[in-house]
Amino acid sequence: MKPNHRHAITSQMMDKSFLADVMKMRGGQNILDCIQCGVCAGSCPASWAMDFTPMQIVRMLHLGMKETVLSSSTIWICASCYTCATRCPRGIDIPLLMSALKNTAIKEKVPARIPIKPKFHKSFADIVQKYGRIHEPELFLKIANKTDMHGLMENATLGWTLLRKGKLRLKAPKVNQKTQWSSLFKNVAKEGSN
Amino acid sequence: MKYAYFPGCSIHTTAKEYGISSKAVSKVLGIELVEIPEWNCCGAMDAVYAYNPLLSISLSARNLALAESMKMDVVTLCSACFFTLSRAHKLLREDSELKGKVDKLLNESGLQYTGEVRVRHFLDVLIRDVGLENIAKNVKVKLDGLKVAPYYGCMLIRPPNIVHFDDPEHPKSMELIIEAIGGKNVDYIYKTRCCGASLGLTDGEVMMEMTKDLLLEAKNANADCIALPCPLCHLNMDAKQKSIESTFDIKIGMPIVFFTQLMGMAFGLNPKELALNKNCVPTGKLFKQIHD
Repeated sequence: MKPNHRHAITSQMMDKSFLADVMKMRGGQNILDCIQCGVCAGSCPASWAMDFTPMQIVRMLHLGMKETVLSSSTIWICASCYTCATRCPRGIDIPLLMSALKNTAIKEKVPARIPIKPKFHKSFADIVQKYGRIHEPELFLKIANKTDMHGLMENATLGWTLLRKGKLRLKAPKVNQKTQWSSLFKNVAKEGSN
Repeated sequence: MKYAYFPGCSIHTTAKEYGISSKAVSKVLGIELVEIPEWNCCGAMDAVYAYNPLLSISLSARNLALAESMKMDVVTLCSACFFTLSRAHKLLREDSELKGKVDKLLNESGLQYTGEVRVRHFLDVLIRDVGLENIAKNVKVKLDGLKVAPYYGCMLIRPPNIVHFDDPEHPKSMELIIEAIGGKNVDYIYKTRCCGASLGLTDGEVMMEMTKDLLLEAKNANADCIALPCPLCHLNMDAKQKSIESTFDIKIGMPIVFFTQLMGMAFGLNPKELALNKNCVPTGKLFKQIHD
């Protein structure tokens, strides 16, 4: 994985209105309480693969560095394991904050450092809205990335392994339409996404 | 003991052996799992939430509303479902604006959720409702000498203000059960370290690096198998184990079982009843070992 680069902070990077926006998001309300102690950065089992530690992301939010945060790999690599938030002495829900930042990056179409990620989230949500449950083969196909042969092969191997064990259902799942789950989720769209 | 059972998507597909063995174990212990009719995806943690938070919470809320009308505690097997449903429960309690929106959506579908449901994990039911004594009483074949690495993963125990279960840094619940059925817990330092979860599908290299460490450490600790309570951890450790071995050019060969499969073995159930043939890394050796 790439080493951390030093980033000089300049005033052009700052967008103070972004801090106010983030503080309205679930997970972002109390980010000003952060004391930059570094417990999150030290606890994160995936920080080695990130371009910024979670602590740096929070600090950059304080400074309004919107573009740097939304184009970081960190927000996409966070696996929501909750080690950081369990230990945070200031009670910041960092994984939920990362989800909110992912959501913002997706809505604002910020090119993701890991390009497949926005598609993964959209595909997952689309499939669940369609059937009421996830349908793994369809998810595999939707996120198949022809430019990443290695990843493609890995997912194909996984699919084959599961199929052989009878653990991949090719037929789409079905939740009874009488229970009106589909109308429920159609109406979600009208209510916005928060 | 009757519960509103929420299987979740994985139990019907990638983690069939977890569902089958849990039902078998429940039968022995007199637990009745009543499947929530027409349940839907739990809300899928961050996978749906990052795309549309309201969709994720509404998915959870519909399940909670269905369970509420059954007037029983909700029980899940999957740690991620456990977390997602618990999170929605908490958010809907604390955020009245959100509750208003979700109520409106539910009402339009003829459903209602007052917020009185208790979401629990199967492991919690075993420890608190069934009790270790009752579990030990049903043991027919002690897992004598079987060395088990207990792996809890993330969402079963973290964050404590959402899942309210066991100690988030030093959990013990699964080890108590393994002891009660005669197994030996090895000192496994990575028992609460993340496996990489859904990164497997989008960022395989990162997931494999993380899961590889968990597998190698269990091997270093001389474990005969890893026991765990989560379908996603199981997928990464079991179904991806061969890929991990070839990617890093290492040999692991570590059987990965659901803790319910170990319980079933101790209760004298046969491999078919526990779907031991569904695990990707062969488990026959374990079964033979305890019957020798």
